Amino acid sequence: MTLLILAMSFSLILTGCSSKESGANESGSKSKNGEKVVIDFWTFWGSETRRPIIEKIIDDFNKSQDKIEVKHTYLPWGDVWTKNLASIAAGNPADLIINDINAVGHRAKNNQNTNLAKYLKKDPAVKDRFFPELYNASLYKGDPYALPFNTDTRLLFWNKKMFKEAGLDPNTPPKTWAELEEMGKKLDVKKGNKYERIGYLPNQGIGADVWMINADGKGYWDFDANKAVINDETNVKALTWMKNYYDYYGDKTINNFKAEFGEQTADPFVAGKLAMTTDNANFFTKIRDYGEGMEFGVAPLPEMEPGTGNESWGGGFVAEIPKGAKHPDEAWEFLKYLTDVQAQEYWAVKNFDIVANKEAAEKASTSTEFTEDGKKVYSLANENMKQTLLTPTPIEAPDYINLIQPEIESVLLGKKSPKEGLDDAQKAVEELVKNNK
Amino acid sequence: MIQMEPKILGKSDIKRNSKHSKTMVSLQRKEGLQGYLFIAPWIIGFLFFLAGPLLFSLYGSFTNYNITSSMDFIGLDNFKKMFTNDPIIWLSLRNTLYFVVVSVPLTTAGAVLLAVLLNQGVRGMRVFRTIFYLPAVLSGVGVYLLWMQLLSPSTGLVNTLLGFVGIEGPAWLTDPSWTKNALIFMKMWSVGGGMLLYLASLQGVSPSLYEAAEIDGASTFRKFFHITLPMITPVIFFDLVTSTIGAFQIFQEAYVMSESGDGGPANSLVFYNLHMWNKAFEVFDMGYAMAMSWVLFIIILVLTVFNLKLAPRWVHYEGEDQK
Repeated sequence: MTLLILAMSFSLILTGCSSKESGANESGSKSKNGEKVVIDFWTFWGSETRRPIIEKIIDDFNKSQDKIEVKHTYLPWGDVWTKNLASIAAGNPADLIINDINAVGHRAKNNQNTNLAKYLKKDPAVKDRFFPELYNASLYKGDPYALPFNTDTRLLFWNKKMFKEAGLDPNTPPKTWAELEEMGKKLDVKKGNKYERIGYLPNQGIGADVWMINADGKGYWDFDANKAVINDETNVKALTWMKNYYDYYGDKTINNFKAEFGEQTADPFVAGKLAMTTDNANFFTKIRDYGEGMEFGVAPLPEMEPGTGNESWGGGFVAEIPKGAKHPDEAWEFLKYLTDVQAQEYWAVKNFDIVANKEAAEKASTSTEFTEDGKKVYSLANENMKQTLLTPTPIEAPDYINLIQPEIESVLLGKKSPKEGLDDAQKAVEELVKNNK
Repeated sequence: MIQMEPKILGKSDIKRNSKHSKTMVSLQRKEGLQGYLFIAPWIIGFLFFLAGPLLFSLYGSFTNYNITSSMDFIGLDNFKKMFTNDPIIWLSLRNTLYFVVVSVPLTTAGAVLLAVLLNQGVRGMRVFRTIFYLPAVLSGVGVYLLWMQLLSPSTGLVNTLLGFVGIEGPAWLTDPSWTKNALIFMKMWSVGGGMLLYLASLQGVSPSLYEAAEIDGASTFRKFFHITLPMITPVIFFDLVTSTIGAFQIFQEAYVMSESGDGGPANSLVFYNLHMWNKAFEVFDMGYAMAMSWVLFIIILVLTVFNLKLAPRWVHYEGEDQK
């Protein structure tokens, strides 16, 4: 008897759930002739600035045809990934989702997204819309499993007024690491033994990994040879340079500096405590909104030595169809729209974001909606995409960064030499790769 | 749940009739049934949200489960990997042990001390009690963010205060040799919860014991060590066991207070549970994370059994025969 009641009440709960589910399915399924197919699109863009932009794009698409209706579901950053996984496992995922570009391959390997090869076969031109580096990052075993949506690239920003004060030419940024260091030190302002302003900090905004990429176009991983190259010569050189630069100011200064400008609070460059910084192209929006008319310059990252190249680093997001989505065909139609020039240009201009569509990025860089400064930064970023490396997480080494990052920190803290730290990281990652084969 | 209502009504109707016709046994049965009905929400919750996942994770720990693509039985591979192939797990265990070994005695001693002080019959004791208890009520992330501000090396309140007495405070959360201590320091702030338990048990210590001791000329210290402490050992024991378990499970603090939640700088805040979380929700190696959780369970179990075995040597229960 007890069991019966238990069973009954539980079945009640179950029916409660399933009735909800079937309700969702009903509205989502292809209904009788002429009615629209509703597809569910998940993003983490819920902020006041981004939400209206993506919803305008969706709205435009919905109005442009009468077969598909896209419904936007906002889920908070972080939460959206776990929810996506759970819904895929439950067989009831979204039809389209915005996800990280670096793990497309991992998701493909683990049956979390849909192979788009058959769609691209029908629409082969779609492939050529994108910056090739971004499209390549969406491939797994040669097949696309996502289409790139947006990206970013690291640039050097400098404060022109401070350059003038320090007797430097405000229109000539440092070209090499040596110049960066030399000019940086000239821009320091010291009161007693406390720094009131620092010229440049090599691990502000970007880390050792980006300088390693900058040095020879390869970071921790050689994507051509598909192996870890963490302790190669240029990487050791880059980390040594960084470490020496770091030591010039010392732990205390840098720790204090870092703590004053945690992630939540103001940026030191914008606050006038730093004369040069290296950051994403859309860092410009912070200067624009909080810099109080700061005169700034922007340039590609300096190169290690003359001729080694100004390679930079970028990431980004893709849109993909989760495995098991009910309406992949309709999702593909919207995916095409989402990555086409009109939608991409709108996103680029409204968000000051580098978009994956080359033509849209090109158009955006001359957009009349941007100020002169905006155009300057955007077109440089657009140009910089040619020398921007993406670092999709190698299939064999899912959490390799977790093994490398602490070693880098140990080196910067003086607990290991750059060579030792990188050797240890290399060994640990090789071990990881061996175990994942 | 709504559907059940008519059922219950129906039953009480029967009950009214049964007073006359049915036996007491069936009444008992019905009452038993109603009892089960009342605890049904808990039983259902337990079965489906606790026991179910628990058993699933036990099974999962022997698989390569990753939510979407695989769940193959791989025997003891996860456990083997833990012992032979994951350098971070040992580091995380060391960090966790350090935290447990330092924080548990400190917070326990702190709570006892505070309770004893408040028990001296000072004026305004209620106010102080509330003030000391307050941090225990404030919870989670908000408090951690507050402490990140307080512990900021050059503008934080803590180092500013230390500066007044001529001490140059450390870079609490950025210097790896201080990060764990910073968390322990923060934990000390919220000893109010334990304090309240001790306060209650202190007030339960019979005054006659103190009177007898005073007549014998015992000093304050002797009274404390020979009467007060032994009398509250049951509560100390309880506090010790629960806070040891709690300390082993430290996660939130490190997740919120380390840069980008990765347990930095230089892995100094990678605690066992943080590593487990990373394995589960960063790389979705669920099987491995499940295996880790069972190993932690066993570690805690062994320690708790050890604690229980050791207890008779120092825990004093009133009315119990002393050896």
